[in-house]
Amino acid sequence: MLTSRIRQLMVAVLSVIFGISMYVAMNGFMGGVNDSQTEITFTSMAHIKIYNETPDEVAPITTVPKNEQAYSYVSNTKNINYTEGIKNVDGLKNILQDIDNITGYTAQINENVFIQNGVLQQSATLSGVETETENQLFKTADYMVEGNFFDIDKRSDGIILGIGLAEKMGVNMGNSITLSTSQGVKKNFKIVGIIETGAMSADKSKAIVSIRTARQFLSKNRSYATEVQVNVEDYNQARQVAKMIAPHTKYKVQAWQEGNAQLDSSSFLRDILAISVSLTILIVAGFGIYNIMNMTVNEKIKEIAILKAMGFDGQDIKTIFVSQALFIGLIGGFLGLIIGNIIIRIIDHVPFNIGPMDSLPVSYRPQDYILAFGFGILFTFIAGYLPARKASKLDPVEILRG
Amino acid sequence: MTNTKQSIVATGINKYFYDPVNFHVLKDINFEVNKGEFVAITGKSGSGKSTLMYLLSTMDNDYEGNITINGQQVTGLNQKQLADFRNEHIGFVFQFHYLLPEFTVLDNLMLPALKLNKKPKEEIEHRALELINLLDVKGQEKKLASRLSGGQQQRIAIARAMMNEPAIIMGDEPTGNLDSKNANVVIETFRHLAKELGQTIIAVTHDHDFAKRCDRIIELADGRIV
Repeated sequence: MLTSRIRQLMVAVLSVIFGISMYVAMNGFMGGVNDSQTEITFTSMAHIKIYNETPDEVAPITTVPKNEQAYSYVSNTKNINYTEGIKNVDGLKNILQDIDNITGYTAQINENVFIQNGVLQQSATLSGVETETENQLFKTADYMVEGNFFDIDKRSDGIILGIGLAEKMGVNMGNSITLSTSQGVKKNFKIVGIIETGAMSADKSKAIVSIRTARQFLSKNRSYATEVQVNVEDYNQARQVAKMIAPHTKYKVQAWQEGNAQLDSSSFLRDILAISVSLTILIVAGFGIYNIMNMTVNEKIKEIAILKAMGFDGQDIKTIFVSQALFIGLIGGFLGLIIGNIIIRIIDHVPFNIGPMDSLPVSYRPQDYILAFGFGILFTFIAGYLPARKASKLDPVEILRG
Repeated sequence: MTNTKQSIVATGINKYFYDPVNFHVLKDINFEVNKGEFVAITGKSGSGKSTLMYLLSTMDNDYEGNITINGQQVTGLNQKQLADFRNEHIGFVFQFHYLLPEFTVLDNLMLPALKLNKKPKEEIEHRALELINLLDVKGQEKKLASRLSGGQQQRIAIARAMMNEPAIIMGDEPTGNLDSKNANVVIETFRHLAKELGQTIIAVTHDHDFAKRCDRIIELADGRIV
């Protein structure tokens, strides 16, 4: 209202635009990086895993001696009544069906095996999967480099290898390989597909067959699985859902965070970094506004004095300057959001060919925009309020007497 | 003690400055100004005449004594009440016009009345145009205040002082920055307002010609009325 300096106003607006657009762009980019990291992780891992945990302490079966003088000691205890895997997976599935927030689940048999191709021998993780639900959870079919994921249902000797594993074995589509279990059972398989998930360790060790084939190969009953993978609506809620499942089953229910603290913490650290850098930019923009508003107050000191003489009180003066700062904040904020969105769109189109990505990852989270705008308004308000308070406290007599 | 004819009653006014040294500026000042009077406060520089005017104008409230304006005691009111009181009852004309340069003449005039917020906008605009006619600056209302000549700006400042039909117009060297021709116009305007409209006017001046044409002169010397 009191400014005649269009250029100063523009500089102030530009600094807010810069601050807010950087906030949006940085957080959008970091969010995208986090999301893509999580997405890669969840191509081979579900949000919650239910499995039969090996008891870590073995209680020796002994009778306590009546005689207190006697002392019993059992060394080298061994499990003798441990049942491997989940015997009745269908029962577990029925339980999962009734729990809210679960978007999907699939049973798997994961077993360490050896793969042989002539004299070449490699250890690998054999996954017996239910193709339909497996694909729902992990979109496995999307990561197939060659062949069709569902072909393993069609032929009981079909197998899909991770791309790294196939390279190590020197095999291609259509080749035959031999699998052997730790029990010494051997079976020939024919490669019907190659998969690349982007998670290096999985690609180097994974071999996929249908769950029926796996049961047969390992001579297990038709409701056997080693684990059930469960996806929930929001993976950040996995811990809560895991707690809901746990009372219904004797098996171990593990949320993804428990086994992957490094993922959780690195996402968190990246977020902190992005927010602190972008807040710093916003604060610097705030200093710019503070400076400009202070100059305006000094320049308009006579006008402020005359307004006070005319009967405008301190509150009116404060309102004038604060509303000017908020005007700068609002205009800069809106333009900043738009420009931030444009920057994010540009980043979205920058080519980046690593893993499953073909351009830089970004996210379009509404909360980034809301927070950017909120912080922007907050800082411009503070930056405007301090000079406004100074102006409201000026003594008109001192100024008018010169 | 007060009656309806009195515009200002000041009793036992003492004022001290503490910075840079303790100094007794105004010493036991007592006087009254009647409604419709055109009074000049004169004196040498340092005599305390400006200080007295700022006390009367309620902008400075750090003094001993008692000031009553139009029957209302203003001594002891808080800053917010004083600001509202000034808005409604006191108009100012300074040595410099202090119009807001990026506002039009009309907006400058309307500002005090919009702050008072007692009349609809149309009526305020009407009043502003009336005053522009009265002070003979017709046709300038849409111009920016910074585009007028010095004499015109000072007349607009007087019009602004009159917007809310104040009890008193206070002038601090209102002709101090004008050439003799424009000064004459301003003095005549004041005389006209006092005579025809019964407007109380108190002006600080060291211009003898100005002082002579007032109804009464209050002369200060060393903080006392002579």
